[in-house]
Amino acid sequence: MIWSTIILCGLITFLIRFIPLSGMLSRELSPLLKNSFKYIPLAVLTPIIVNDLSIIQNNNFYLLDNYKLYAAIIATVVAIISSNILATIILGMTSFLVMSNLNIFL
Amino acid sequence: MTKWKVFKEGVFEELPLQVGVFPFGIIYGIMAIETGLTPLQAFLMSSIIFGGASQIVFLQLFSSGSSMAVLVTSVGAINSRHFLYSLSMLEFLKKLSLKWRIILGYLLTDEAYAVSIRKFMNEPNKLFLHFHLLGTGITLFLSWQLSTLTGILLGGDLPEFLDLQFIIPLTFIAIIIPMIKSVSTLFVVLSSAVTALICKNLDINFWIILSAVVGIIFGILTSKMDSKR
Repeated sequence: MIWSTIILCGLITFLIRFIPLSGMLSRELSPLLKNSFKYIPLAVLTPIIVNDLSIIQNNNFYLLDNYKLYAAIIATVVAIISSNILATIILGMTSFLVMSNLNIFL
Repeated sequence: MTKWKVFKEGVFEELPLQVGVFPFGIIYGIMAIETGLTPLQAFLMSSIIFGGASQIVFLQLFSSGSSMAVLVTSVGAINSRHFLYSLSMLEFLKKLSLKWRIILGYLLTDEAYAVSIRKFMNEPNKLFLHFHLLGTGITLFLSWQLSTLTGILLGGDLPEFLDLQFIIPLTFIAIIIPMIKSVSTLFVVLSSAVTALICKNLDINFWIILSAVVGIIFGILTSKMDSKR
């Protein structure tokens, strides 16, 4: 099951990258379709971030002592100011490791 | 300029980006082993799918017991942006043989595209442009395989206090923030985030697809509010 899932994912990814290059799309894409394409990465990655921050656990909201959430806010600010991937990761990770290992809320 | 000079140019322009790619590959390798994939599955996924963010999401969904349909749809959705990359490269590559287009299609990732499209647009009439994309693509490919392997070999041997998985959402934050450049993109982020929270709270299994669809709909609906330039 896992092998077939990996291969299917690989096949789909390859087709996404190859089909436009193959020249088999004769017609120009509709503007609506083209417009929605640019939203896809944001629309897919945002829910994953939200999920990774463990805001909801056992059907409860988990906000005030959530180190991941605070570190994510710091990372977001760094990303807005610097637009630098490495700086965002390093400062976000450092603040998370410091907060969680020192247990600053306990 | 000869073919190999253009190729080498691609390689050298791609190298600085590996500062971000290599750690990401290591984390993917570590996570894959922790998720329960065999080393062979973890390693070959990096050449079969060859897409960092989508491979990480694959692991996250796999470990939470998602169905094959959800996994394949999510990976496809994340990589769907490459469709646009490919479309924008067609005019530079359409004269190439099918064999070349298959190879370059396979190698077309965010990092290779970003570097090579700049070259293509700056010097559209240059000979052997495709060797530039071959250079950026192969560099990224080798770096991704090598970093995956490093992560697999490190495996679960990292100390407990280093919760490295948190690098994943941080990387995604770093990727999406620069993409929020208009009212509609902001609406995409907010609406998909709220939908994800609601779905998680209600234990809806296909939260990722549902949130993405809601986000895209909000984006299209609010796109008229974007300032036209």
